[in-house]
Amino acid sequence: MNGTVDEEPNNLAQLGIDRRPIVTCAGELEVFSTVEENLSNALPKDTCEWRRSLGRPIKNVHVGANFVPFNVQSLPKCSQWDLIRQPLFHTYWTECTDVDTYKNTIREDIEAWLKELNSREITDWLIVVVENYDGKRTKQLIPRTTVLDKIRADFAVKQGDRCISVINPGRAESKTAESWRGLVSRVRHLLLVAYARAVTRLEEHVRQQRERRNEPGWNFMKYFMLQEELAQVLEMLGLNDEALVQYDELDALFSQFVANFTTCDNLKWLSQFQRPLDQWHGLRLKPSLVEDTPSLLELRAYIFARQSRMLLLTNKVWEMASRCLPFLHTCVRELAILEITAPPGAVWCWLFLASMEVLQVCDKFNQADQVEEYSLHTAALWEYASQKLRNLGELCGLMPQGAPTSEQLHVVVSLSAGMGDNPGPLNSPSPTDRLKEALCSQDVFIKSYLELAELAMGTFKHVGRLRMARLVGQEVATFYLLLGETQKAAAFLGDAIRTFESDGWHELAAQTQLCLADCHKKAEDSQKYIKACAAVSAAVEIDTLIRWSYFDEMTKHLVKLDKPMELAFNDMLRINSVAITSDLIVMQDCKMEVELAIESNFPKEIVCTYFAVCLEREEKPKSNVRYHSGKLLTKKDLKWQDPLLQRLRIKRTLNYKQDKQLATSGIASKLTQLHRKDSAPARSRTDLSAALEAEKLPLLLTPGLNVLKLSKKATDVGKYCLDAAIIHVDKLQLKSPPILPRLTLEVQEESPSIRLYKRPAPLLSGIEQVMNLILTIGSYLIEPKSIIKLTASTGLTFQIQPEEALTNNLEIEVGDKATFSSTKMPLRVLADLLTRDHQVTIHVPWVPKPIVVPLNFSPPMSTTWRLFTVDYRKFVQVNVVGHCVDNLIVHEPDLNVKSIPVSTKHCDSSLIISNGLSYSFLWELAHTNVAANSAKAEFSVQYKLTENDCYKSYQYYFDVTDFKTLYALDAVVEPAKGNEFCRVGVVCHLHLTISNMVAVHGKENADIRSVMYEVLAEQSVWAVCGRTAGVISFGGILEEENAVQRVVLDVMPLTSGFLPLPLVRISKYIPADTLHSEKTSASDTHPRLEPFTSGQVYNKSKGKQLHVIAAASETNPL
Amino acid sequence: MAVCAAIVGKDNSPKFFCCVNPDEELAFQFKVLSSLDIIEEKLNPTNKSASDNRELYLGQLYSLETCKIYGYVTNTKIKFIIVVDSTNMALRDNEIRSMFRRMHSEYADMVSNPFYIPGEAITSKMFDANIKSIITGTV
Repeated sequence: MNGTVDEEPNNLAQLGIDRRPIVTCAGELEVFSTVEENLSNALPKDTCEWRRSLGRPIKNVHVGANFVPFNVQSLPKCSQWDLIRQPLFHTYWTECTDVDTYKNTIREDIEAWLKELNSREITDWLIVVVENYDGKRTKQLIPRTTVLDKIRADFAVKQGDRCISVINPGRAESKTAESWRGLVSRVRHLLLVAYARAVTRLEEHVRQQRERRNEPGWNFMKYFMLQEELAQVLEMLGLNDEALVQYDELDALFSQFVANFTTCDNLKWLSQFQRPLDQWHGLRLKPSLVEDTPSLLELRAYIFARQSRMLLLTNKVWEMASRCLPFLHTCVRELAILEITAPPGAVWCWLFLASMEVLQVCDKFNQADQVEEYSLHTAALWEYASQKLRNLGELCGLMPQGAPTSEQLHVVVSLSAGMGDNPGPLNSPSPTDRLKEALCSQDVFIKSYLELAELAMGTFKHVGRLRMARLVGQEVATFYLLLGETQKAAAFLGDAIRTFESDGWHELAAQTQLCLADCHKKAEDSQKYIKACAAVSAAVEIDTLIRWSYFDEMTKHLVKLDKPMELAFNDMLRINSVAITSDLIVMQDCKMEVELAIESNFPKEIVCTYFAVCLEREEKPKSNVRYHSGKLLTKKDLKWQDPLLQRLRIKRTLNYKQDKQLATSGIASKLTQLHRKDSAPARSRTDLSAALEAEKLPLLLTPGLNVLKLSKKATDVGKYCLDAAIIHVDKLQLKSPPILPRLTLEVQEESPSIRLYKRPAPLLSGIEQVMNLILTIGSYLIEPKSIIKLTASTGLTFQIQPEEALTNNLEIEVGDKATFSSTKMPLRVLADLLTRDHQVTIHVPWVPKPIVVPLNFSPPMSTTWRLFTVDYRKFVQVNVVGHCVDNLIVHEPDLNVKSIPVSTKHCDSSLIISNGLSYSFLWELAHTNVAANSAKAEFSVQYKLTENDCYKSYQYYFDVTDFKTLYALDAVVEPAKGNEFCRVGVVCHLHLTISNMVAVHGKENADIRSVMYEVLAEQSVWAVCGRTAGVISFGGILEEENAVQRVVLDVMPLTSGFLPLPLVRISKYIPADTLHSEKTSASDTHPRLEPFTSGQVYNKSKGKQLHVIAAASETNPL
Repeated sequence: MAVCAAIVGKDNSPKFFCCVNPDEELAFQFKVLSSLDIIEEKLNPTNKSASDNRELYLGQLYSLETCKIYGYVTNTKIKFIIVVDSTNMALRDNEIRSMFRRMHSEYADMVSNPFYIPGEAITSKMFDANIKSIITGTV
């Protein structure tokens, strides 16, 4: 902190003040003179610890010394307080090395010297023996006693440190340097001890004097000098901060006096400051002396200069800057309290000069961190200086658009005289020079003022005090307005308005808006003037009469406009709510409707020539914009919310270790909306072509709330956002900011469609039926000439015209159809009989992809057949089931079996078959010895749906195979011997007779020799006892008797009543070792069973029943 | 006695303004507005001000030739500002501080009014009268 201490003694010295302690020298002065210069230079070079009483901290101080020859007269008397100005340390110097010489002369001298000192109770002394060191002496034996020892023994037995020897430092050798250092530090220490005592005494004295301040006759100036002395002492010691405290005390004391001046009686001495101000020399921070009878400003300036000095020495530029403004305020206040009269402008001059001086000093310290520190305070100073200069300018008629009168010129002359002369260096004129110059010439004045103001604004902006900068800007704007530079003025005013608005200080904004309006009026910029007028007229904070007049101004100028001008809504109009009154999804060509509540702040009605809300087409939602679902935006929704003031969404985050223990817990918040607010929102081009418009124009917007209905026919499909509202008033186009959060509307279209419907009944092949082809036109028209193409799969034909023949391909013209109309066209369809799956491909002009309609047809009737056998006779039954919803008229059934004649048994020639009913026809195959084992059969029938139709033929083909009877089967159950009846639970005999019919009537099928029979009794009815199956072989040559085989099985009825006989089934039995042994394979190693077809076996006992009576019991005896 | 008192919301917009001399209101509004710069500086957490967070009184914000401006900030960042004439020597720091405290409690009472919507400008006549009596020292 003492980096600048080297120059410090010079500062005091410049003024002729030397607060270094006075040190006397006695003895051989010529010896001392050789070391004097070295010593006085060496002393302040290093610090020394200063221990003080009263628990004050230990300080490292620098102490210098002022050497004077010893003089008895100048010695201070006992109990003197101003020891500072007295010799307070005494030295005796001798070069004597010879003990005898010492004894003879020096000793007496020292004795006399010490006696002088002791008589004045001075204990601070030092005897120095200077030795001339040379090479020879060291080689000699060390003398038993030196002069130093002698002196010590004689004078300083108890204070050994009061005697010191030093080797003459003439030659720079290491040993001399060491002894020299010893001397310097000893002197420094002892001197400080002495000095400290003196300072303590001085402090005590100052305190005493201060206590007496209320006594009559106490002189502030005297006290001031005294305390300043203390300050200077501390300054000399390098304790600048403590020196500052002394000045601060003086400052505070004086302030207190002045503050109490009017109330206290014993402050009469202050009247010495009450003389009129006759000179107002600029404040000088350079070292200076205070005059004996300073004026208030001089005294104040002096104290401030000293304080600044100390602050600068401790590198606290910022503090000096920060103290300046309060200091100037104090001065102004004290001038007022003491009722000091001054010529007009004189104080302003002084204030200006003082602030400029401080600023100039600050400018010298231009390290970045220093600038950073003091800018906070200099900004206000710049502003203050510019203000004062402006005041002076106004006083002296230097403001733009004016010329100084002779009276004002006279003022300038007297002010300049009072400032005195303080010429600065050539390249940097002093504040006084600058002020004088500015007062002499209007141009310089304007330039200086603007420069200062710009600096003030710049500095304010730099330190982040934007609002203050704006206020200065406002001041500057008024100045520019006087200069006629309306553009610059407008820029400053505009900035100020923006800042006020952003802080919500509407009244200030409105007031500034008034200035802006005047500014634009002066500039004859009618567009901007209208804008400002509009803003003023809509400002509720301003008096209604003023608003009216500006409103009238606005309308007056609007008429004169040659082209439309655009203007934002700002505060003039406010959208309070937006509601979509139509559906959110609007069909094409329907109406989109929106209701808007607009609050007008204009003082009178405005006539809107146009009113619309823009629609912005939106392909996909934007991510950075808020959307509002629903139809209504209330005032609350529309309110702009400062993202910085929003509640943060905070969620909990817990992190677990691997073992599921909690590792860390915390909260996290995603700052969602932290993006910059654009200072000038991007101007979106308003597309008025797609806008909801007011229906009745012109409409009146009355002051206050207006509810307006807007609508638009939805022409284009898509999603739309409500964007900005636009109001045209004559040529004024008012535009609102985009409506946020966004409300979306959707316009949809319905495309045409074509459908092919079948009627409720199932589709039948072979019958012409009607399907419905339905063409629905959607929300837009279809070119009437466009063609719908229908293509059918093979086997399917259709036609739409009633009279035309059926075809496979069909082209239909759409025709003139209204939107949302639906046309039903009957389509006659005919699928070939016996085909089932078909499809119709429809090509429509509006969709490139063809539409495929699959169709399922079923035949009009279904047919089944069965072969029945009675011994050798064969019957074919054909069963027909109708599937047609309407009755089917059937005619001429016919069965035709190839090479076998048939006889009709039950065949009505004409029938009506209704839906779902079946009907059977029966034919007997004539008994013929047909060699073929199979025959092709064809059933045909004629049918028609309605009486008027012509018959169509229905054919059904089937094969009759294996229809010859091979075996006849007969089963009889007889009761066991001795029983008359079959009883439940009693074993009966089942007599099974299998006869080979072929053996009887022909030689064929000889290979089927073995037949296996199985009794398939129902388990709840019959129990088969013993075997249930067996194989019967018919012998080689079939004789009449061995063509019939008989088997008896035991069966037992389990229930009573008429029971069907147990079912017996016979199958072909093919043994494992057949004749085809050459094809031996795994499957052939086992015997196989093959079923007979139904025509090959005739079961005689089928349908037979046996009466079984209940088992004999006690209740039911035989 | 102070000459002007103001209450400024957390968004820096004025909520209440009262002046002993209504003619000076506009001039004071400018002064109060510019003092917000300094309040913001003082509230800036990056500032190395070691001041106690619980201390709501901000002290003198800045002084002009004619007046001194004092500030006080509640925990919810509602700013109270008092403007004192600079010739007024009687008002010491302590008096100002207690003035602010009274204002704060008055404000708390006013906010408790269910008919007051927080964030709106204060229009209560009673509140106005109370604040006026606080700053003029007639309580």
